[in-house]
Amino acid sequence: MLKEALEGQVTAVCNAITASVQFQVEPVGRWFEAFLKRRTRNVSASFRELEEEKELSEESEDEDLQLEEYPMLKTLDPKDWKNQDHYAVFGLGHLRYKATQKQIKAAHKAMVLKHHPDKRKAAGEKIVEGDNDYFTCITKAYEILSDPVKRRAFDSVDPTFDNAVPSKSEGKENFFKVYAPVFERNARWTNKKYVPNLGDMSASFEEVDAFYSFWYNFDSWREFSYLDEEEKEKAECRDERRWIEKQNRGARAQRKKEEMNRIRTLVDTAYSFDPRIKKFKDDEKARKEAEKKAKVDAKRKEQEEKERARQAELEAARLAKEKEEEEAKQVAMQAKKEKEIQKKASKKERQKLRTTCKNWNYFADNESESVKMMEEVEKLCDRLELLSMQSLNEVLASSTKEESKTAIEKMIQEVNAQLLKEKEETEARARQSSKSSEQSSSGAGGGSKTWNEDDLQLLIKAVNLFPAGTNARWEVIANYMNLHSTSGIRRNAKDVINKAKNLQKLDPIQKDEINKKAFEKFKKEHSVVPPTVDNAVPSERFEGSSADGTASPWTTEEQKLLEQALKTFPVSTPERWEKIAGVVPGRSKKECMKRYKELVEMVKAKKAAQEQVSTKSKK
Amino acid sequence: MAAIGVHFGCTCACVAIFKDGRADVIANDSGDRVTPAVVAYREREQIVGLAAKQGRIRNASNTVVKVKQILGRSYDDPQAQKHIAESKCSVIDKDQKPRYEIDTGEDTKLVPPEEVAKLIFSKMKETAQSALGSDVNDAVITVPFEFGEKQKNALRQAAMAAGFNVLRLIHEPSAALLAYGIGQESPTGKSYVLVYKLGGTSLSVTVMEVNSGMYRVLATQTDDSIGGECFTEALAQHLASEFQRTYKQDVRGNPRAMMKLMNSADAAKHTLSTLGSSNCFVDSLHDGMDFDCNVSRARFELVCSLLFNKSIQPIKNLLDQVGLSANDINKVVLCGGSARIPKLQQMIRDLFPDVELLNTIPTDEVIPIGAAIEAGILVGKDSSFLDEESFAVECCAKDILVKEADDSGADVYTVLLPSGTPLPARRHHTLQSPGSVSSVCFELYQSIGKNCATEANKVAQIVLKDLEKIEETRDIITVLTMKRDGSLHVTCTEQGTGKSEAITIEVAS
Repeated sequence: MLKEALEGQVTAVCNAITASVQFQVEPVGRWFEAFLKRRTRNVSASFRELEEEKELSEESEDEDLQLEEYPMLKTLDPKDWKNQDHYAVFGLGHLRYKATQKQIKAAHKAMVLKHHPDKRKAAGEKIVEGDNDYFTCITKAYEILSDPVKRRAFDSVDPTFDNAVPSKSEGKENFFKVYAPVFERNARWTNKKYVPNLGDMSASFEEVDAFYSFWYNFDSWREFSYLDEEEKEKAECRDERRWIEKQNRGARAQRKKEEMNRIRTLVDTAYSFDPRIKKFKDDEKARKEAEKKAKVDAKRKEQEEKERARQAELEAARLAKEKEEEEAKQVAMQAKKEKEIQKKASKKERQKLRTTCKNWNYFADNESESVKMMEEVEKLCDRLELLSMQSLNEVLASSTKEESKTAIEKMIQEVNAQLLKEKEETEARARQSSKSSEQSSSGAGGGSKTWNEDDLQLLIKAVNLFPAGTNARWEVIANYMNLHSTSGIRRNAKDVINKAKNLQKLDPIQKDEINKKAFEKFKKEHSVVPPTVDNAVPSERFEGSSADGTASPWTTEEQKLLEQALKTFPVSTPERWEKIAGVVPGRSKKECMKRYKELVEMVKAKKAAQEQVSTKSKK
Repeated sequence: MAAIGVHFGCTCACVAIFKDGRADVIANDSGDRVTPAVVAYREREQIVGLAAKQGRIRNASNTVVKVKQILGRSYDDPQAQKHIAESKCSVIDKDQKPRYEIDTGEDTKLVPPEEVAKLIFSKMKETAQSALGSDVNDAVITVPFEFGEKQKNALRQAAMAAGFNVLRLIHEPSAALLAYGIGQESPTGKSYVLVYKLGGTSLSVTVMEVNSGMYRVLATQTDDSIGGECFTEALAQHLASEFQRTYKQDVRGNPRAMMKLMNSADAAKHTLSTLGSSNCFVDSLHDGMDFDCNVSRARFELVCSLLFNKSIQPIKNLLDQVGLSANDINKVVLCGGSARIPKLQQMIRDLFPDVELLNTIPTDEVIPIGAAIEAGILVGKDSSFLDEESFAVECCAKDILVKEADDSGADVYTVLLPSGTPLPARRHHTLQSPGSVSSVCFELYQSIGKNCATEANKVAQIVLKDLEKIEETRDIITVLTMKRDGSLHVTCTEQGTGKSEAITIEVAS
């Protein structure tokens, strides 16, 4: 229920309304279709009254249609309808192909009203009987113009259309003036909606390009069925119809080809004369040239830059090198200087010591003692470092004779002790070397190089391995020896020959003895102390035990644990060694395995030795 | 004019025809109204439909299923990757495009997904033409709302390759609305419709606004992790555990047995939508042992109860998202094969107690029927082509209301032109005023949402003065016309005397 208006209230707008918003709708349903149709036609059912005025004005325009009277209408021959101008018959000569269907209909109606035989009869005019009356022309014209296909055929051969293509001479001067109307005229044949304009001198490259690509790909609806000589409908049988069709098709294709050629020539000539194309080409050329130049420039610049960089780099490298050399030189000089200073200082100190000692008369009472002391002091001078000498001098300078004597004696003692120690060391070294040489030479004498039992063994083996007749036999044997020897002594072929001959001289019993001895030694070495020399075999397994200091030796506790573990995990246990290693703390799997192998070897060696002893005792 | 509507789903495809003013689903050559979207490649032939689905047990590596998931996607697309991971048929990468690797005996063939889709479309076309004759090719095809341009194009290409003249691609929820003719009778008024689609592999819930016969999607939610296959899977798992219980054998590790079990579970699930219990029977399921089990509907509902809850949840989320309550929804449309499940329908009914639940059309046929109706509207029209612009429609931004007094004299506001009305629009209303007073004031407000109009929202007032006093109530005829830009023209006419006032309200600049 609406309310009553209050006093003073009038019809008014208070606020502006919110503008519409755009939503995406689903393209389904008849109402969507209706909406779409309304929108494309740009009319709205709800706005009929607002838009009616506009529509009315359009219609009134139609009614204003000016029909030009065709003066020759009455003289037309209906039989020659093909050559008549149907638009002119309707008085639409000024509109031609632009005339709408509505206009044609209206014009036809007007013509019929005016020229119908019945009308004319009523007006007292004389009528030609049958089809020969000119009214037939009007009917025919309507028949053609009202049918879109027929109308198109007629439009295609519109007699008023100027098919001419401007000649070359015409187009050279004022190109735009000549060609613009020609293109405009021909544009009516296109199937496409938008036709680009020829434009003028100021048109951009894209515009011109679009224009020419449009015309080069011209899609024309023009067809020439109107000019068919035979009419298909007139044929009496199928074969005839086919024949006519064939004829017509050929003629049409021919004409169509001519038409396409015409358009092509038109566009070609226009393209060749178009001042803009020329301009674009020139521009392009200039641009390319410039680009080329720029490229060359850039290249040159780049090269220069590179060269410069290279130079700079070389320079820098040279400088750095120089600097380095300089520095090295300085360092060397400094060192030299220092050394010299030191030398000088020590010289000075020595002198000082000597003079002091001399002053004190070498702390001696008699000549012989002083001579001995002098010797000692000389020794001191030789042996003492600069610093200790300095301190000694200081002590000497600041103390009395007795004190200095004790000091110097102490020093002498120290030096002597040092000397003695050194001497001992050298002696020990000599002894050791002699001992080792002794040991190595203990097997068999003779020759400059000593032969130990292993080597002898090896030699015998080698001689047997490479029997007489082997190519360069002794060299090969020497090589073999060198390769397999454990003593580390290099032997040449000569040594080997000598030794071999030596050995041969010995009687076979002795040889056996040697062999046996070697074997025994081998056994012994293995059983008592693991072999000390077995460097030739690259095995790690002996390393742990051969050098007691390296790795960590197995303690008795560990040993016990290992033995226990070996017992608890028999051979068949999967992943036996992992488990054993787990039981022995501080030992890896590898170490355990190694130790086990050693133990096995030890046990074996012991057994062998015992056996030997027992056999010996039996003998 | 006859036309075809095709729904091309992940698991199934369905075709409907529009003929003699009505749309009907066509059964395929094996008598099923829904064709499984499965293509099996054999040595010399390709098989589409039920035979391919059944043969999958033996020919899994050469059988393509759920091709829709990968159609029009690049190889790296996460969705495509998901499909590739699940597919039993190997998929390889060729120039960023996925290709199925099909082993045809002597050599391997690379088949693009579009080719597979084409085969399915060909099958649908055959089916439709069996009822229509071979000269009908015009078709409308449905796509999910979230399909991108590329996927739409791929689908269109596939349909065209199959020989369809694709009139238009429409969204599945709109097709569902069209199938029930919502808003098609009279183009006035505004309502909200919820479309609940539970397909084979995906669930999508959409809220649509119907205004003046036009549909607009307000919001949509898709969940690819739930679908009819999940229920089948759950049931199959249940059956497998039953089997294990009886025979002490686990069949879950046996893919072929599981596939057989899935087929059996599928059949059982379908039966349970109509009957209270179903029998699952698989010969020689595992180790030559037969399997026989009875499943009741209650058991099925128990097994799938978690899944049901998961299927219902998106409805609540979506309503929260668009800010509508369950009472604002005027209709609920069910579509997709799995929406048949009685328990699900019951749960939805519980969620919308006062709302009409539309399920008179079999749920898996709703979408193709909608498509066929749309095809019937479009066929024969030359301008069925659409450009992007035509989807955007100017609409009224706010509700236009008039202030009235109810019987007790309090102010009430009546909506004359609801928001979202496509423009231009015109509405006629006949309003009443007491005949005992000589003047009438007609106050117009604009507002968005439900908050009452205030003075700030007052747009205009129209006053009719010096009216004759009469005994009965007066009728005031009001005509509102809104132009595309949103400007409003209002005319009020007193019917008895013909006295009238008009006003034009311009748009705020």
